[in-house]
Amino acid sequence: MKKLLIVEDEDDLCLLYKEELSREGYAVTTAQNAEQGLEALNRERFDLIITDIRMPGRDGVEFITQIMGLRKDIPIIINTAYQSYKEDFMTWAADAYIVKSSSLQELKSKIREIIDR
Amino acid sequence: MIERFQFLAPDFHSKEPKELALLSIISQSFFQPFSIEDNLLVILTALTSGSGVGFNRAMLFRTADDKLKGEAWLGPRSAEEAKSIWDVLSTPGIGYIEIIEHNRWLLTRQADSLSQIVKPLVYSLAQDNLTIPATSAARKEMLLVRNARQEPQIDPKFLEVIDVEEFLCVPLFVRGEEVMGLIILDNAYTLRPIEPKDVKLASLCGLMAGNYMYATLLHNRMIEMERLAALGEMAMFITHQLRNPLTAIGGFTDQLLNSPSDEAKKRRNLEIIRKEIRRLEDVVDRLARFLKVDLRKMVPFDLPSVLQGAIQGSALKMKSEEIEIRVNFEENLPRILGDATYVGEAFRNLIVNALEASSRGGCVSIQGRREDQNWVVVSVHDNGKGMLPAVREKLFSSFFSTKDKGLGLGLLYVKRVMESCGGRIEVDSEAGRGTTFQLHFKSAEEGRTDA
Repeated sequence: MKKLLIVEDEDDLCLLYKEELSREGYAVTTAQNAEQGLEALNRERFDLIITDIRMPGRDGVEFITQIMGLRKDIPIIINTAYQSYKEDFMTWAADAYIVKSSSLQELKSKIREIIDR
Repeated sequence: MIERFQFLAPDFHSKEPKELALLSIISQSFFQPFSIEDNLLVILTALTSGSGVGFNRAMLFRTADDKLKGEAWLGPRSAEEAKSIWDVLSTPGIGYIEIIEHNRWLLTRQADSLSQIVKPLVYSLAQDNLTIPATSAARKEMLLVRNARQEPQIDPKFLEVIDVEEFLCVPLFVRGEEVMGLIILDNAYTLRPIEPKDVKLASLCGLMAGNYMYATLLHNRMIEMERLAALGEMAMFITHQLRNPLTAIGGFTDQLLNSPSDEAKKRRNLEIIRKEIRRLEDVVDRLARFLKVDLRKMVPFDLPSVLQGAIQGSALKMKSEEIEIRVNFEENLPRILGDATYVGEAFRNLIVNALEASSRGGCVSIQGRREDQNWVVVSVHDNGKGMLPAVREKLFSSFFSTKDKGLGLGLLYVKRVMESCGGRIEVDSEAGRGTTFQLHFKSAEEGRTDA
């Protein structure tokens, strides 16, 4: 079973992603902040990381740099409500950048695409 | 020995050469927070006052959209009026404040006369066959006309208005930029010929006015750009605040649609959806409240009672966390100027922040004291977690928040409220030691109540 790490600070979204992606047949671990995410990365090996970039009040860039440093060869999807940072992160070697929407279709198919390749 | 001098001499003296007096009036007025219109009027006055250059009348045109438009005309309407005005303006020791007051008075009185006469004068600078005065502006050349009625290049309509043989056109511009306006000077009442030294002085005024107008133009452009940038930032922040709840609502709704039979899940999902909708509503409410701050209703009000209302508004939080609020107001604190509703809301924002920063069993203290005759200071202090310098710096910038679900509008709101009632806010904070916000209000008793 492929293992996904989801870093998302919104409770409801953590729950939603966990349920929906488990139903798709993945083993899902959720982390609600940077520290938890880094802990999980140190503890076990994942096939894909899906993370938000949190901008206001925290240095989301610093956090994501750390994750990217730790992930080594694990692909990463940025899943965020911010539209405007897409170019920055894609050139920065994220594997996909998804803007959150009311449908999870895009997220699900992107995960499938990256896992299957 | 080192001597100190102030830039702003309070007045100028009749014994000084009039060139100096003139430069003094103009540069001093630029130092003041007057509007560009007021300051241009000061230039016109300086050109026409006896203690300045001493022209009889000064007419101002400004350019907008490639058109030169008549805007103001300063000067007496008759020789008798001229004498009385010059007497006022030649008074030794008169300063720019008096000049501006005088100009405002002159303009309201003349609203139906001199300035109204020049307003219909509009010249397109884009066309080829320009006439005077537009030629002077278009070519950025000073023109001294001696025998106006014999010059075919002068616009007949303009000649009819100005009705003199001799006048001087001084374009207002800075090097390399479009012309911004034009001043036209004459001696309609004394009929004194315009001399080379008058031209020299007038050109000096023109250069200063041009530079001043250009600086003002750049300043306004910059403010507009900042405003647009802030707007963009705001739009980005709001989309972010709306997308998270929308994602949750969409996702949990889809679950309901896909497995309608799971009763337990149905209830849970509906509750989550309800909660997220409330959150969306809250974002919209807070935004609406923030955008509404437009307070010009400056009314004296009693600080302690407004504050008491704000404390009651945050009582729930206070009780649940067992945080104490200590209020200490000086006796006979003067009333302050502002809009009580907005100031109350601003206090509520600060108190909620202080309570949130405090740990269980903490204490928030609110003090009010008279700082001096004009100012009343209210401080809101908590001994909570405090802030790092990096956070403190960004505190009042829009859409900055340390709270997960913060909109970043709270402190910006407080700042706007304080600015709009002529006060200010200061913050002192140290990580781990707590934070103090100081609000400086204008006292209603000593300050102006008519603002």
